[in-house]
Amino acid sequence: MSSLTDRTSGEVLETVGRRAEARLVFARGGGATVLTRQHVPYPFHVTRVFRLHPEAPDLASLYLQSASGGLYRSDHLTLAIEARPGARAFVTTQAGTVVHRGGPLPTRQDTRVRVSTDAFLAYTPDPLILFPGAHLSIATEMEVEPGARAILTESVACHDPAGSGLPFEHLTMSLRLTDPSGRTLVRERSAIDGPAFTAADSPLGTHRAYGTMILIGPADLLPAPRTLQAEGDAAGCLAGASPLPNGAGLGLRILAPDGGRLSTGLDALARLAFQALGGCAPARRRK
Amino acid sequence: MRVGPEPVLAELIAFQQADAAFPSGSFAFSNGIEGLAAQDSGFGEVELAKAVAAALDFRWAGTDRVALVLAHRAGADALPRLAAVDAALEAASLAEPMRIGSRRNGASLLAAHARLGTAGAAQMRAAVRAGSMHGHLATVQGALWRGLGLSEEKAGSIAGYGFAAGLTSAAVRLGLVGAIEAQRVLSGALPRIARILERPVEEHDDIVLTGFTPLIEIAAMRQAQAELRLFAN
Repeated sequence: MSSLTDRTSGEVLETVGRRAEARLVFARGGGATVLTRQHVPYPFHVTRVFRLHPEAPDLASLYLQSASGGLYRSDHLTLAIEARPGARAFVTTQAGTVVHRGGPLPTRQDTRVRVSTDAFLAYTPDPLILFPGAHLSIATEMEVEPGARAILTESVACHDPAGSGLPFEHLTMSLRLTDPSGRTLVRERSAIDGPAFTAADSPLGTHRAYGTMILIGPADLLPAPRTLQAEGDAAGCLAGASPLPNGAGLGLRILAPDGGRLSTGLDALARLAFQALGGCAPARRRK
Repeated sequence: MRVGPEPVLAELIAFQQADAAFPSGSFAFSNGIEGLAAQDSGFGEVELAKAVAAALDFRWAGTDRVALVLAHRAGADALPRLAAVDAALEAASLAEPMRIGSRRNGASLLAAHARLGTAGAAQMRAAVRAGSMHGHLATVQGALWRGLGLSEEKAGSIAGYGFAAGLTSAAVRLGLVGAIEAQRVLSGALPRIARILERPVEEHDDIVLTGFTPLIEIAAMRQAQAELRLFAN
């Protein structure tokens, strides 16, 4: 982690935010999933591993926490999670993460996920909450081996704590899903300015919160798109699901009026997917 | 030395390619309009204009237009490059109805041009049949229209117009708006298309396609499961 100000010829160019990379490696040993590597520098913070599933005692649950109250101007934080062969892990957050006002350089959050053969990983963080002026770039790279099962979500909502409805500055998102040979299965990039996010002709319609969910697993275990959509609807969201490109799995888009309802909808959808792919309902530690 | 047809002839070829009577197969695709209307019983001219604006700005501009330009620059003979552009389009299309619609529309356009003997059409069609290309609409448009001698700018104009006109004509056929309302929406979209066409398309090591149309994608995903549909997507 570093925090410094670059100066050239006496001119302040840009405050460089925090740089930190956390790494979590889950592996199977002794009939359980254990955290064999844990490098969690500030501002990352994690709970201990919980065993919350009596019916699946091998399943490890871990909560990511923020030690600093969110993401700040020009931060560049990277999280790498790996589930090695046979490991089964559930990683989520304690709450939504606030993204504060940014500068010319984006606040960056990179996530790298690797799920090995016969492993199960659910990585379902709560939404990123974009405050007015936030300038965020999120990039997710996911590599899945044959026979892997995974649930991954990324989601954003905008919120002005002053109640003035001021938008964030700019948001870019990228998602890449590859197989072990490096072949790209899914590769999408998105970019939108805050005012366009909330405009009358917004690509979200009248919704103000957005999420994507990726489900990887055997086709006969994946929930039916219609079932997922009904679950999203019941939670007050608008969801659509369809097979991903290149036979990678299922992809969902979820829209909601606000971050709270998006979070509820994502929880409901993740629960459904968790039961289908993980074989049990996700037990939740009180958030 | 001039490359390609005389300007007036190029204009006429462009009109032919943009003509709704050309058997491009695009009449079968609403690209999400049918799904949007199914979700909103009050879908009319205002909603159509918003949908067209969002689709142009957040899908066509950064995804289809970019792929079309890259395919045009490659030309129909550069099959490996076209296959790479096509693969990028495939991977960038998370919503299956939009992905399959683009492929099916590309196949229809390719079939028409193969029968007309357009330069490069037969070999591209063979590549699609062999599975070495997906044959997405934008890839096929870019390569074929270069084969007809149309400039990159002209190809972009035809494709942009065709994209927007496809959405508005779908709305007419669904009975959501009348012909005059549809033309009013299309007229409103033309300056937007012109502004988008002014943006340069840069070449990178990676093929960079950008899009963000969650509402339209959700509508198309949900509509794909409907028992009764007028359009393929």
